[in-house]
Amino acid sequence: MNKNYLFLSLLMILLAGGLLLLPDRTNYSQIPPEDLLWDIIQPTRYVTTEQVAKMIIEQDPTLELIDVRDADAFKAFSLPNAVNIPLDSLLSPNYSDYLGIEDMNAVFYANDDMLADQAWVIAKRLNYSGIYVMKGGLNCWIKTIIQPAPPPETASLDAFDLYDFRKGASIYFTGKTITAPKSDNKSKVIVRRKKKTKATAGGC
Amino acid sequence: MSNKHVHETNPKRTVIVMVIFVAVIVAGLLSLKTPRLTYVLTPEQTLALVTGGEGCVHPYQLVPVLNGTVDTVILIDIRNKFEFGKGHIKGAENISAYDLTNEENIARLKEFKKNGMAVVLYGNTQLEANGPWMVFRQLGFDNVMLLLGGYRYYALHKHNLAATKGDKSYLPGMADFNYAEVAK
Repeated sequence: MNKNYLFLSLLMILLAGGLLLLPDRTNYSQIPPEDLLWDIIQPTRYVTTEQVAKMIIEQDPTLELIDVRDADAFKAFSLPNAVNIPLDSLLSPNYSDYLGIEDMNAVFYANDDMLADQAWVIAKRLNYSGIYVMKGGLNCWIKTIIQPAPPPETASLDAFDLYDFRKGASIYFTGKTITAPKSDNKSKVIVRRKKKTKATAGGC
Repeated sequence: MSNKHVHETNPKRTVIVMVIFVAVIVAGLLSLKTPRLTYVLTPEQTLALVTGGEGCVHPYQLVPVLNGTVDTVILIDIRNKFEFGKGHIKGAENISAYDLTNEENIARLKEFKKNGMAVVLYGNTQLEANGPWMVFRQLGFDNVMLLLGGYRYYALHKHNLAATKGDKSYLPGMADFNYAEVAK
């Protein structure tokens, strides 16, 4: 046999050893840790309870509510049309179809922010887009949408707009009217408030 | 002559092809990008970590750290300088969340881990430090802990932290209402 061929084949085996140096490949796409931390620091993932209520009322087809609490809590109470993905089975293949649907806005929620935020961080690492967290969770939902408190007399016009929205939403979701505390009509003070163009922000 | 391959008639050509081949492979290996930070935990492991409730520090557990009996704990305030200036936990160091993955900070965290020091991250609330804590845990810093209740809870109870043992109000995930009842 030609010596050249022997040398060549040895060289090939040696070079093939270089494959051992290749980094591990994962079977899922993920974003670099630096980018993940950057996305975490931005508050853009949070949507307010009012924004969620508005999307439900307007029957926004892009809204996908994801309840990350356990199945019992979900059964007892959940937001309209929410799907239940308990946090511990977030990565289970049964639920993988619910995330990463094109043009859908998936909003995670739980009792407060914590579980939803943890679900968001893991989903974000896996490069899912269109994912959000409902700020304040269901505790905030009750406080702002179901049992809204009237703003003080001196509040800005925006605050009253927001309260009107919340009252309407409360009636929409519960079918009940809000029993506002009785106001004494002794002295009517007309307060002129400067109208602002800013949209109502809301939140807890 | 009829059976002879090109290699045999022109051995020089073989050498040239070989050199080019080797050069391409070596260049490929050398130009492999090694990312500065890589995940050590898989997403599944991360999920198990957060659902298991590990890696958290209760406010009362800071007592021995603050009075100096334990000196293997580093407190890191991840809020910005302004917030830090308004008030912070005694002895805490301020590294804003934006700077946490700087080369020097990563080097220091590695140093802490090597020396067996625990690192406690905190923000105004537990939520604020949750993301950074999850990132560092995923990077393999298993000595990085998260302060439950955050700075706000600490500030309210700093004169009597030991008494907060058993308090459940700072634990996350509590339902403040019986939702089904309230939202009927």
